[in-house]
Amino acid sequence: MSFILSILIFFPLVAAPAAYAVTKLNKRFGIYLSLGLAVAELAVATYVAWRVYATPPGIGSYLLVQSVPWISVGSFTVNYLVGVDGLSTPLLFVSALLTVFVVFGSRKLIDHHEAEYYSLIFLFEGAIMGVFASLDLILFYVFWEVVLIPMFFFIAVWGGPRRKYAALKFIIFTFAGSTVMLLGFLYFYLGMAHYVSPSFDIPTIQAALQAHEIPVSLEYAPLLASFIGFAVKLPLFPFHTWLPDAHVEAPAPISVLLAGVLLKMGGYGFLRISIGLFPTASADFAWVFVALALISMFYGAIAAVLQKDMKKLIAFTSINHMGFVLFGAFASLLIADPAVAYLGIEGAIFMMFAHALAVGCLFMLSGYIHHQAGTREIPSLKGLGTTMPRTAVVLVLASAAAMGLPPFASFLAEFMVIVAGISASAVTIVSVLVPIITAGYFLWMIKRTVLSKPEGTVEVHDMAWSDVAMFAAYLAPLVVLLVASYLILGPALPVAEFLRGLA
Amino acid sequence: MLTASIVILGAGALLLPLLQVVKRGQQQLAGYILAAILAVSFLLIGLFTMSPTAVPWADGLLSPDQLGGVFALVMLGVTLAVTVASFDFIKTSSNPVYYSLLGFTALGMVLLAYSDDLLMLFVAWELMSLPTYALAGFDKKARSNEAAVKYAIIGAMSSAILLYAISLTYGLTGSTQIPMIVSYFAIPAHQTALAGVAVLLFIAGFGFKMSIVPFHMWIPDAYEGAPSTVSTLLASATKKAGFVAAIRVLLVLATVYALTKSPIFSLANVFAALALVTMTVGNISALTQKSMTRLLAYSSIAQAGYILIGFVPFAANPTSAAAALGMTGAILHVINHAILKGAAFLAAGLVFLQLKRTDLGAYNGLARRMPITAITLTLSFLGLAGVPPLNGFWSKLLLFLSVANGPFWWLAVAGIVNSAFSLGYYGWVIKRMYADDPDSPGRVHEPFWFVVVFAVLVGLIIGIGLFPQQAISFASGAANSIIHG
Repeated sequence: MSFILSILIFFPLVAAPAAYAVTKLNKRFGIYLSLGLAVAELAVATYVAWRVYATPPGIGSYLLVQSVPWISVGSFTVNYLVGVDGLSTPLLFVSALLTVFVVFGSRKLIDHHEAEYYSLIFLFEGAIMGVFASLDLILFYVFWEVVLIPMFFFIAVWGGPRRKYAALKFIIFTFAGSTVMLLGFLYFYLGMAHYVSPSFDIPTIQAALQAHEIPVSLEYAPLLASFIGFAVKLPLFPFHTWLPDAHVEAPAPISVLLAGVLLKMGGYGFLRISIGLFPTASADFAWVFVALALISMFYGAIAAVLQKDMKKLIAFTSINHMGFVLFGAFASLLIADPAVAYLGIEGAIFMMFAHALAVGCLFMLSGYIHHQAGTREIPSLKGLGTTMPRTAVVLVLASAAAMGLPPFASFLAEFMVIVAGISASAVTIVSVLVPIITAGYFLWMIKRTVLSKPEGTVEVHDMAWSDVAMFAAYLAPLVVLLVASYLILGPALPVAEFLRGLA
Repeated sequence: MLTASIVILGAGALLLPLLQVVKRGQQQLAGYILAAILAVSFLLIGLFTMSPTAVPWADGLLSPDQLGGVFALVMLGVTLAVTVASFDFIKTSSNPVYYSLLGFTALGMVLLAYSDDLLMLFVAWELMSLPTYALAGFDKKARSNEAAVKYAIIGAMSSAILLYAISLTYGLTGSTQIPMIVSYFAIPAHQTALAGVAVLLFIAGFGFKMSIVPFHMWIPDAYEGAPSTVSTLLASATKKAGFVAAIRVLLVLATVYALTKSPIFSLANVFAALALVTMTVGNISALTQKSMTRLLAYSSIAQAGYILIGFVPFAANPTSAAAALGMTGAILHVINHAILKGAAFLAAGLVFLQLKRTDLGAYNGLARRMPITAITLTLSFLGLAGVPPLNGFWSKLLLFLSVANGPFWWLAVAGIVNSAFSLGYYGWVIKRMYADDPDSPGRVHEPFWFVVVFAVLVGLIIGIGLFPQQAISFASGAANSIIHG
């Protein structure tokens, strides 16, 4: 029994009212306090990450588990059950890290209703921690839905001109997706009751799966239902239409959370729930998932080429990159040789971590550029290289990280996923084209904005050195991870072995 | 203790109008007295529910069980909230009469919750209904009068239908006591077509109060025309009376009785069809409304459909585990809906009181003008949509779980689709309150007693949401009192 994960989940929920009250009284001090609270939360997350790295949980087991009875009526029981492994820990850590950056970056970009804003950031953070730490399906669903509420308000209150439309579209799409997911959970739970004593408890269900106590025929319907919930979040083509709207309208720091954290819920769900609970059905349909992932990757990449708004371009990159996560996860189910198969799942986990930082950095940067230059339209941004040299350097580096160029770890993640894909089937070699297109539109964007001649008389200001430090902090972990990839891949290996072994 | 609470409720309701003669000018006094009476009755019935004792004069008339306790507490709680909110709302000269009528309605609802005899049930039904006809027209404005007349006519019709059903039942069985009637119908030879007619008449009669489709037409007009506090009472309390009556009469009958020999027209199928139509019609109609009260009225109809889902597994097989789960979910949703809809109607009432508008445009930018009202409305809407971790989530979860695996699985699908759909119009209003610009800026006063009621209701919405076990056990106890006699 350990309380550390509960601290991780509930500390931000307690921090939220504190941030609200203090910011209401004194804006400046409130923002510093919020930053302090976010750093404290990061310290807890770092401790959790260190624990998981130092003693990675074995195959199919979880660390720092805490279980408290919550609800019981008849045979229907729900427990507050939390625990972590090599899949959830990188996401918990990166969520805490991005929250620090978001609070730091928001001080310049958010200029009204600050008290509400910072308290909602913490509400969001607590709920996200809950999503990644939950090991009970109902608890997972509760946190999953709580995430929507602050995000709705972020877009609706602090968003751009079409914020109202985007916020409603966001909440209706994602709520519809997740209710279908819940229905799948209920179906699975009740179906299970004919064979074993039913449970929402993920480790218990997995034990029953390994003992072949739950018939495979029960897995298909909930796989489809949860697929819809996760595909909306990921987002997978054609469930993605809410994403460009939400990203364009959301303020830049919120886009960081949206792309860096919220989309990961989809990838996490596919690994933890789809493959983790419905492994045989997932393996049977792995081809469908791989094909959908490929379509999504190409769609995201090609759509990104056509975008004029820098933020929309980055939004479509996310669709492209999250496609890689799905691609790697399900390709590994198709590979006979386990050692290669693990690459797919490990690559997917690595990809989620790397994408969170690289795209988070780009979104924050687009907010800065918009703030300083007054526009995000790529054709109107000219000569950033001369007018805003520091911004230009960060833009080039962040684009390199997103493209998957060394020395950034995103390179390794993409490489692992593509190797796994090709091992699954030579047909998927077409996936190699995706990083090429990605590199193409990023380089074209850089050519048009950074390398062009400055024009116009608009007065622009470069970013402060403190902001340069923040952007460096986004990208530094990616460089470190290229060298020390075992920090993530070490604990991720038992997860890959376990998930692959279930199928 | 039950006796004591009935006596003080009755005495209070009878004596309150005297205040008008004795003490002119002290208008709020009647409200304070009624609030005190309701609070004491609430406590007494709460104690009684926890440790039931024999009620000497209730032999055969009342069934002092936990089911009655849950409903009596919900109804008294809502009436108390309405009374407290009325301190700021009703400023007309005939105050004591208003509070006296509220008191009579409360008394009728408490008696109805415990009724175990059809005559007792009918008397309580009328005691509850008659004051509300007057309350609906209390504003004495044209619209309010129209609502009152419409409501009274429909109400009288439903009473007539109910009375006809009761007389048919008495003619067939020779008894008005529900247990006797049930044991009579347990004999297959007694299950005639005429009995089927009586059951359908009961469904229609109760259906008007429960606001299920197709007996729902009067709801939006009545809720919109009546003073907002009265609409709160109608939506959150008297509507629940329909449900407790349906549980006591129809569901108990379902343990022994199949509506027809044909499996298609079983009682379970009738309830399932009514649930499906009610929630779908309610939600789709709510989406197109331009007035807040009408939106809430249709949402209230939709919620009645969700509650009906819980009746289905019980009607199909009263001894199954799903039946227990479904009844628990239905009773929990009755409690939750009373809290959520009470909060929503009172918030809408306050907006009407301060801005004199009920159209949705009045809600633009409300978060800046009336922040406490806006947050109350937001939480109650999210709860009604079934967003966790608010209280409405748990009751909907139990309701859907009770039918998710079995012949009625499509009800769970329909329920979940409906919930997702309903977030469309709830989210639309939340968007208006937080993202749109108000017509005129500036803070609007939020009266003290309203804020107190909002705080209590929001506390319950979040509290039951985070720690639902107590409420679930309470509802489950009430469900068991029906299932195990």
